[in-house]
Amino acid sequence: MAEEKDDKKPFLSKKIDKFFTGLASAYRFVLRFFKEVFVPPYELKEVVQQCYRIGVESLPLISLTGFIVGIVFTNQSRPSLEEFGAASWLPSLISIAVVRAMGPLVTALIAAGKVGSSIGAEIGSMKVTEQIDAMEVSATNPFKFLVVSRVLATTFMIPLLVMYTDFVALIGSFLSVNSKELVSMSTFFVQVFESISFLDIFSSVIKSILFGFTIGMVGCYKGYNSSKGTEGVGRAANSAVVISMFLIFIEELLALQIVNAIRTW
Amino acid sequence: MKAENKRSVIVGIFVFLGIAILVTGILTLGGQQKKFVKAIELRAVFDDIGGLQTGNNIWFSGVKIGTVKQINFYGDSQVEIIMNVEEEVVDFIRKDSKATLSSDGLIGNKIIVIYGGTTNAPPVENGDRLQAVMPLDTDQMMETLQTNNENLVDITADLKVLTGKLADGEGIVGAVMTDSILAENFRKILNNLTVASENSNRMLAELNEFTAKINQEGNLFNELATDTMMVAQFKETLGTLQATAENSQEMTEELKGITEKFNSSENAMGVLLNDPEFAEDLKSFMINTDSATYNLNKGLEALPYTWPFRKGFKRKAKEEEKDNN
Repeated sequence: MAEEKDDKKPFLSKKIDKFFTGLASAYRFVLRFFKEVFVPPYELKEVVQQCYRIGVESLPLISLTGFIVGIVFTNQSRPSLEEFGAASWLPSLISIAVVRAMGPLVTALIAAGKVGSSIGAEIGSMKVTEQIDAMEVSATNPFKFLVVSRVLATTFMIPLLVMYTDFVALIGSFLSVNSKELVSMSTFFVQVFESISFLDIFSSVIKSILFGFTIGMVGCYKGYNSSKGTEGVGRAANSAVVISMFLIFIEELLALQIVNAIRTW
Repeated sequence: MKAENKRSVIVGIFVFLGIAILVTGILTLGGQQKKFVKAIELRAVFDDIGGLQTGNNIWFSGVKIGTVKQINFYGDSQVEIIMNVEEEVVDFIRKDSKATLSSDGLIGNKIIVIYGGTTNAPPVENGDRLQAVMPLDTDQMMETLQTNNENLVDITADLKVLTGKLADGEGIVGAVMTDSILAENFRKILNNLTVASENSNRMLAELNEFTAKINQEGNLFNELATDTMMVAQFKETLGTLQATAENSQEMTEELKGITEKFNSSENAMGVLLNDPEFAEDLKSFMINTDSATYNLNKGLEALPYTWPFRKGFKRKAKEEEKDNN
C-alpha cells in the first residue's frame, strides 16, 4: 500500500516529471527511428508516396508563398535602401535574406503547418482507431511503415522545396526590382550570386534537412503518442505544428551561430 | 498500381528539378566567384588591412580577377595577404605591379586593387610578392578634415571682424561703402578710368594701324626693317656722316685757332681787329688816303690837257670815233 503511494508521488513535480518523461520518450522515439531506418525491409513505395504528398502536393502553396515573400520583401526593403541611395543593392540584399534565412524558414513553417499537422492527425487517428495495433498484429512494422517513411520523406522533400522557394522568391524579387529599377535579369542574377557564397547554399541545405527531419519527427511522434480519442487527434495535430515551429526557430538560431562561427573561422 | 507509378514519376521529376536548381545555383556561384578556374597565388604584405577578409575580391583594371585566399600575420605586426589570381590574366600583371586596399563602393566591401606595372618587367609567377601600397586611411582623412574645419572657423572669425568693420565704415572699403561723397569720388575715378581705358584702346587701335602701315611694303620703315641692302647703304651713309662730322670737328677746331689768333693782338689781323690805336691810325690813314685820291683824281682829270699827254688822248678819241662809224 505504501509502495503504491510512493509510485504515484511525483519525483520533482507533476508537470516537470511529465516534461522530462516526454523528453525521454521523444529521445527513445528518435533513437528507434535511427535503428529502424537502416534495417530492412525498406518501405520505399511508402516513402515515394509520402514524398509525393509532402513534396509535390505542397509545391503550389510553397511556390505561391515564396513568390509573395520575394515581392513583399523587395518592396519593403526598397525605401530603406533608397534612403542611402543604395537601391541597386536590392538584389544582393534579397539574395542574402532569401538564401540564408527566409527560404528555409518560410518553407519549413509552411510545411510545418501543412505537412506536420497532416502527419500528426493521420497517425493520431490511426492510433486512436487502433489501426497501428492492427498493423502490429498483421506482422507489419507500423513504426517503419508510418514513421520512418514520413520522416525520410520530409527530410528529403523540405530541402528540395527550399530550392524551389529560393528560386521562386528570387523570380518574384526580380519582377519587383525590374518594374522599378529596370534591372535586366542577367544583371539581377549576377548581383544575386555575387553576394552569396557556397557556405550560404550548403548551410541552407543542411538547415532545411534538419527542418524536414524535425517536422516529420515531431508530427509522427505526436500522432504516434496521441490518446483520448478524437480530441487527442486534434491535440496531436495542433501540438505537432506548434512544437515543430518552435523547434524550427530554435534550430535556425543555433544554425546561425554555427554558420557565423564557420564564416569567421 | 498505375496511380502509384504515376506518382513515382512525378516525385522523380520533382526531385530532379529540385536538384537541378541546386546544382545550377552551385555552378553559377562557382563560375561567378571563379571557384573552378585555375589560379596562381600572389602575395602582398600590408601594415594594416582595414578589415579585409578572406573571400574578398581582387580587382585589376576594374575587373575581378580573384579572391583573397588567406590572411596571415607577418613579421612584427604586418599582415601577409595570399591572393588567388586567375591564371588567364597573369600575362597582364607585371612583377613591378602594386597592390593596394580599396573598397567596391562608398560603403562597400574591402577589395585589393592591383595596378601599375610596366611592360619592361616580366609577368608575375606563382608565389610572387607584389609591392603593397597603403591607401589613404580614413582616420588620416578625418584628421585633415579636422584641420580644415579649424581653418574654416578661423576664416569665418576673421570674416566676421572684417564685415563688422565694413558695416561700421572702417577702412577704405568700409568708407567707400558708407561715405556717399567718397563713393561719388570713387565712381568718378572709375568713370575716368573707363575713359582712360577707352582712350588707351583707341591709342592701341591707332598704334595697330600705324604698325600695319609700317609693315606695308615700299614703306621706308618697312624697308629699313626688311631690306638688307638698304641697311648696308644706311650703314655706309652713317660712316660717311661720321667722317664728315669728324672733318667738321677738325675744321671748327682750326676755325677756333684762327679766331683765337684774331682775338690776339700779336698778329696783323689781331692788331687790325683788336688794337684801337691802330684803328685810329688806320682811320686817319684812310682819311689821308681819301684826300690823296681826291687830289690824284684832280690831277688825272687835268692830264689830257697837259703836255706831252695831250696828243695821245686826241689820237685815241679819233680811233674810237672811227670804230663807231
